[in-house]
Amino acid sequence: ALFAGSRLLKGYRGGHVVIRFALGGCTNRPFFRIVAAHSRRARDGKYLEQLGCLDPLPNAHGERVAGLNLERLRHWLGCGAQLSRPAEKLLGRPGAWGPGWGPATARRGSPLLLAGLAGFLPLHPMTVTGAERLRRRRGQEAVAPPADGSPGAR
Amino acid sequence: VAVAWPRPAPLPLRPPPAPRRRRVNGLGNPPAGGGAGRPAFADAAVQNLLYKMTGLNLQKVFRPVKKELKPPRYKLMTEAQLEEATRKAIEEAKEKLIMPPVLNEREPIDDVLAEDKFLEGSETTKYVFTDLTYSIPHRERFIVVREPNGVLRKATWEERDRMIQIFFPKEGRRVIPPVVFKDEHLVTVFQQDRHEDILNRCIAQFEPDSPDYIRVHHRTYDDIEKHGKYDLLRSTRHFGGMVWYLVNRKKTDGLLIDMIHRDLLDDATSLITLYHMLHPECQSAKEAKEGNLQGVDLIKVFVKTESQKEGYIQLALQAYEEATATSTAS
Repeated sequence: ALFAGSRLLKGYRGGHVVIRFALGGCTNRPFFRIVAAHSRRARDGKYLEQLGCLDPLPNAHGERVAGLNLERLRHWLGCGAQLSRPAEKLLGRPGAWGPGWGPATARRGSPLLLAGLAGFLPLHPMTVTGAERLRRRRGQEAVAPPADGSPGAR
Repeated sequence: VAVAWPRPAPLPLRPPPAPRRRRVNGLGNPPAGGGAGRPAFADAAVQNLLYKMTGLNLQKVFRPVKKELKPPRYKLMTEAQLEEATRKAIEEAKEKLIMPPVLNEREPIDDVLAEDKFLEGSETTKYVFTDLTYSIPHRERFIVVREPNGVLRKATWEERDRMIQIFFPKEGRRVIPPVVFKDEHLVTVFQQDRHEDILNRCIAQFEPDSPDYIRVHHRTYDDIEKHGKYDLLRSTRHFGGMVWYLVNRKKTDGLLIDMIHRDLLDDATSLITLYHMLHPECQSAKEAKEGNLQGVDLIKVFVKTESQKEGYIQLALQAYEEATATSTAS
């Protein structure tokens, strides 16, 4: 029997369901679990359901392994869950159908299965912007050092 | 042949399901050896012949597997109970002798889903995404790879097998295939006469249509045929596959001699019948159909026309006939 005001059952005011990464693992060895949880909960605390995992360190074959339970993801997105920023970058931006996005190129999630669902997984704008910024910065660095290198070589 | 795949504890085998079906009946898919009208490995007639040739040596089928040591249990039974127990043992043995499928090598996957050139250079390693939905068969699972150059493609078969083993581990299978399956190490295994063990391990490790599975099996069969160690696989579930391989490549002489030496004339006739089914255009097949030959005559016709080691087989047949003559005479 649960008493009102018991420490075990925490009641929150407001908040919504989010799909985000919960960090686990050990020192210098991160491991993320893709998790559906209340937004007010601790990052690694009690969650509603685990929807997958992501290993950010490359394995022996040079790949970063990620698993996504797409069926349950669809369920939670259907229940109105939000995505955190890194989860958006990984999966895509639901509801971002806009004139600027072109054909339904899915971001790093599964395309064919979900391209039919309304707006699930088109590309996040920050991905495009981030890539452009990176390229621009690299271009500037490539131009700048030769300009500093020759005077600095003396 | 509708077979229910057994799941005995150490080495389960799951056949590749046809689309929309979890459990496939037998060995569906394109007939091994191709060509319309050609008998396939899965046909009832072929399976019958192969099954007869496999033999049913209960002592070997129920040979003790290395398990935890327990003291033996003795039971006191009447004749009727003993017969009942033997009958049940035979049925269990039949289940253990169900042949693993023989399939063609799978086509490599090469499908690009999206190309996003502007993503190039923003990541250093590739991402592999696996769909973890529990209720879809492994063959239909989505496993995609996002390369650092922005290309989103379907994963290759090796990547697929690895990912599926990581997330849905199967007993007896490792994520990275053991080194023993390489050719130089297979030689060592064959020298120790452990063909059956390596084949069991191969079935547990690889999918039946993967190139590694086919390569290991073919190497094993070649080695057995080279040294004449046919008896190692008799009364196991691999015998049918071996006979199929040999008959398709017309290397049946050694096997025929072995059968005659062991006085297995029925098996020899089944072998030749199978040969005629698979190669109906050969000389002995036509003669056999015309004359409707049975038994030893069939073997003699086959030996005259098709075999390479005619002398050996004639000798063996002579020895067999003398043996039967003396035994009937005495």
